[in-house]
Amino acid sequence: MHKIKVRINGKDFEHEVEPRLLLVHYIREKARLTGTHVGCDTGNCGACTVLFNGDPVKSCMMIALQANGAQITTIEGLAGNGLHPVQEAFSERFAVQCGYCTPGMILSACSLLQSNPQPNEAEIREAIEGNLCMCTGYQQIVDAIAHAAQKAKGLERRKP
Amino acid sequence: MMKLEEILVTRNSVGKPVQRKEDVKFVMGKGAYVDDLDIDCHHAVILRSPFPHARILKIDTSKAEALDGVLAVVTGPEVAQQTKPVPPRAITKPARQYVMAAEKVRYVGEPVVAVAARDRYIAEDALELIHVEYEPLPPVVEIDDALRDDAPLIFEEAGSNVLLHDRLEHGNLEDAYKEADLIIKEQFRMHRYSSTPLEPWAIIAGHEKADDSFVVWANDQQPGRSTVNVCNALGISHYRLRFIVPDSGGGFGIKLALWPYIVFLCLLARKVDKPVKWIQTRTEHLLAGTHAPDAHVEVELAVKKDGKILALSMKDIENDGSFVHTSGIYGLIKFATLVGCYDIRATRAELMSVVTNKGPTVQNRGVGKPTMIFVIERMVDIVAKKLGLDPSEIRFRNFVRPEQMPYTTPSGEIYESGNYPECLRKALDLIHYEDWKKQKEERKKQGRYTGIGISAGIEPGTSNLGYYYTSRGVPEYMGNAEGAIVGMDYDGNVNVLLGSVDTGQGHVTTTAQVVADMLGISPDRVSMNTQLDSLISPFLGHSGAYSNKFNDVDLGAVIMATKKLRDKMFRIASHMLGLPEGELRLKDGKISAVKDEAKAVPFSEIASLAYKKILLLPEGVEPGLKEIAYYKNPVAKLPSKTDFNVQLTHSNSVHAAVVEVDAESGAVQFLKYVIVHDCGNQINPGIVEGMVIGSTVHGIGAALYEEFVYNEDGQLLSTTFMDYLKPLSIGLPRFELAHMESPCPYTLLGTKAVGEGGAIGSLAAVANAVEDALSPFGVRVRSLPITPEKVVRAIRETREI
Ligand code: FES
Ligand code: FES
Repeated sequence: MHKIKVRINGKDFEHEVEPRLLLVHYIREKARLTGTHVGCDTGNCGACTVLFNGDPVKSCMMIALQANGAQITTIEGLAGNGLHPVQEAFSERFAVQCGYCTPGMILSACSLLQSNPQPNEAEIREAIEGNLCMCTGYQQIVDAIAHAAQKAKGLERRKP
Repeated sequence: MMKLEEILVTRNSVGKPVQRKEDVKFVMGKGAYVDDLDIDCHHAVILRSPFPHARILKIDTSKAEALDGVLAVVTGPEVAQQTKPVPPRAITKPARQYVMAAEKVRYVGEPVVAVAARDRYIAEDALELIHVEYEPLPPVVEIDDALRDDAPLIFEEAGSNVLLHDRLEHGNLEDAYKEADLIIKEQFRMHRYSSTPLEPWAIIAGHEKADDSFVVWANDQQPGRSTVNVCNALGISHYRLRFIVPDSGGGFGIKLALWPYIVFLCLLARKVDKPVKWIQTRTEHLLAGTHAPDAHVEVELAVKKDGKILALSMKDIENDGSFVHTSGIYGLIKFATLVGCYDIRATRAELMSVVTNKGPTVQNRGVGKPTMIFVIERMVDIVAKKLGLDPSEIRFRNFVRPEQMPYTTPSGEIYESGNYPECLRKALDLIHYEDWKKQKEERKKQGRYTGIGISAGIEPGTSNLGYYYTSRGVPEYMGNAEGAIVGMDYDGNVNVLLGSVDTGQGHVTTTAQVVADMLGISPDRVSMNTQLDSLISPFLGHSGAYSNKFNDVDLGAVIMATKKLRDKMFRIASHMLGLPEGELRLKDGKISAVKDEAKAVPFSEIASLAYKKILLLPEGVEPGLKEIAYYKNPVAKLPSKTDFNVQLTHSNSVHAAVVEVDAESGAVQFLKYVIVHDCGNQINPGIVEGMVIGSTVHGIGAALYEEFVYNEDGQLLSTTFMDYLKPLSIGLPRFELAHMESPCPYTLLGTKAVGEGGAIGSLAAVANAVEDALSPFGVRVRSLPITPEKVVRAIRETREI
C-alpha cells in the first residue's frame, strides 16, 4: 500500500492504494466520481478520459500511483454551477444518446477548444478520434463541438 | 382507432426538435449506470473456457476458496444441478444447455466457474488458482465443418448439428418460374459482427436471506422476458424476484441475453452476505457477449427480360454458435423483409440453424434484415447489370407502388404505408445521381475508381413475437404490447412509468412531448422514470426495448393511460364547473369552458379534489389521479405457417453512397452519402436524425471494418477494439438526410420504426458502390467486410470480395 495525494476538481483526496490500482478505478471507487466511465480494457474507447494536469488522458491506462501530486479534472468538475458551454452545446445539438461516451467526449472537446478555439470539421474529427461513440455516428457530436466554438466566439465578441 | 386530433389537443411539442430532458444528467456525468449505483457489494468474476469444445473432467476450486478475501464460488456442475436448462425459442431438435457449462464447454469464453470476492482484484487473483481438467474435443467452427457427415456433434442428443431445418413456400412459384425469361443465382456470405454497446453488460444480484428472494439490477434490454427466464431457471415464483433496470449505455439487441448470467449470479449471491456485482470486461463482451451470426445465403431470382422480378428462392444457413435460446430466430426474422421493397409474388425459403463452437448469437440491431436487404439489394444490382438496366431503373420497375399500400407480401407481412419510388427519386436528386455518373467516367480516365451504390431497405418495427414458432406449435409469447402508468400530482404535474427501458433512444423526452400535447401543457411538466422496477412498473412478458416497438406499443400504452387520466379530469371539471364535458376544453394547464375562458379550473384544483377533498368528487368517481393502461398492436396475426406477419410496422429508406476505391491500397473512401428516410410521423426530428445516422454507422462498420474472426481451432482472434475495428469519427462521410412522412395507419400517432433502418440499408449501399467502382476489374462483392486486403486481392487475383 502506498499513500497518494491527488487534487480532483479542486478538492484534495488522500488514500492508501495498492500499486496495481488503475487510476480510473481510483476515481470511480475511491473518489466516488462515477462520471468517468469504462468501455474497454485496452485504451481504445476514451470513455475514461479525464484532464490530467490540463491534458486529456485515458485514465484506464494509468495507475493511481502516477497521479500522486497531480491535478485532475473529471466531468463532474468541468463547470462550477450550471453547465459548461460544451455541455450545453452537446444537449442543444442532440449529441447525446445513451450518454456513456459523453463525459469523455466532452473533455476531449474542451481540450481541443482550449488549444484551438475555432477548429474546422476535420480538426474536430481528429481530436475525438480516440473517443468511441456507439450510438450517434459522431455527426451530431462534431456539430455540437463546432456549435460550442461558435458560441464561445459569440461570447468573446460581446465582451467590451 | 383514435384519430390524431382526438389524441393531441395541442401541437406545441410533437413533431418539434425538443431538447432532450435526459441530457443534463448525462453531460454532467450524473448518469446512474449499474456500476455507478451506490450499493455495498462483493465483486464477481468469471472463469471461462479456453477451449472451443471440450469435456469437463474435473473442477478444483479449493485453492481459490482458501485465498484471503474470496467469499464464494459456483461451478457449472453445481449450477446445472440447481437450475433448469436454457429454454429454446425456435429450434426443433433437443439440445440441453445450462446457463453455465456443466459437462461440456461449447465455445471459447463459456462460463465455467464464478467467484465472489471482497474486491475485483482479489477475485481476478482467485481465477488463477482454479484448476479445471478438460478433455479437448475436435472443434466445429464454420458452417461447412458442422454440416459434414462425420462432423463431431455439439449436442449429442440432437443427432445433428442442424437444430432447425424448415422450408416455407408462399405464392405460386411454378407459374412464376414458367413465366420467367431468366433465372439468376448467386451466393453470399455474411460475417459475424456486433453493435457493441459502449457500456458492457453489468449486473448486481442481491439475496434476501429472510425470505429467500432476490433483487437484481441489470442493464437488461428485455426485462419482461428476462424475469420469466430467471425465475423459471431458478424455479422460484415471480414475486421473489425484483428486477431493476437503471441507465443503460446502449443496447442494440446485444443486451437481450444477460439473463443466463443473472441466474448464476443469483446462486452466488445466495452464498454471501452482500449483493454481488459483475461488470463485464470488453474482452469478455467480444468473446461471449453475443454476436450476429455468420451466414451462407444462396439466392435465386426468376426474372422477366424487362427486369420484373417474379419469384425469389433462398437457402439460408445461419451459424448460430452455441446458445440454444436464440438459435434459429435469425432465419425466420428475414421474412419481415424477404422481398425487400419489391412486389414479388412468390417466394421459397429453406432455413437452417447450425450449431458450432463459435460464441453465442442474439438479436443484433436489425436481426437478419441487414443480411436479407444486403442480399436482395446486391441481387437487384446484379440483375440490372445483366439486363443492361440502370440500378435505379430496375428498382423503379419492381417497387411496391404507393397505391398498393397496405401491401401483403406472399408470406403475410403487411407493408402498411410508404412511397418507395418517391423515396428513391428524392435520394437520386439529393446525391446528384446523373452528375456523378458522368463524373465517374471522367475520374476513371485519371485512374480514380469511383462508384455509386444505391440500396432501398425496409425497416420493420414491433415484433409479433409468435412468428418463429411456425415450426414449434403454440408459442409462449404472441403479438406485442406494453404497459404504462400516468399520474398527476397535487400541482398538476405528470409522471409516467413505462414497462419498457431506455438504452439511449430518448424515451423520456419523446414521452413527455406526447403527454404534454395530450394535456395542453409544456413537456417540462412531464417527468418519467426511465428506471424500470418490476415491483412498481407496469409489466408484461413483452416489456423491453427491442424491435423498434417504442413508437408503437410503448407510446400506445402511454397514450391510453393519459387518455384515461384526461377523461377523469374532464368528469371532475365538468362537475366543478357545472357544465357538460362537451363544452369544456384543455388549455394551459386548465380545463375551461369553450365559450367563456374565465370559467376554468386549473389542474391543481382538479387534483385537489381527487387527492384531498374527495367528498366533493362527482358520484361514481374514484379518488386519485393515476391511471394504468396496456396497449397491444392491432394487426399481429396468430402464428401460422402459411400467413404470418413477423413485424408490425414498416419504415423504409434509400441509402445512396459515392465511394472512391484506391486500387493500390484497397482503401474505400466516401465522397458522398445520402439517406432518405421514412418513419411516418416524427415525434422529435432531432432524436430521429441521431438514430438514423448512428444506425447507419453501425452498418458501415459491418460493411467495411468489423468482423469476429475465428481461426480454424475455434479461437476468437478479435477480442479487443484493437482487432475488432469500430468506425471512428474520422473516415466517415458527412451524412445528408431527407425525410418523408408516410403515416402508419396502425399506430396511434402514425409513427413507425426508426432505430434499425440505417444498419439495414447501408451494407448494400456500400457494397454496391464498391462493386461499381471496381467494375473495370470485374470484381463481384459477395461478402463483407470490404477490407483493404480483400480489395487488393480481388483486383489482383480473385475478382471476388
Ligand atoms: S476505458 Fe479507457 S480507453 Fe476504454
Ligand atoms: S451516446 Fe452512447 S456511446 Fe455515445
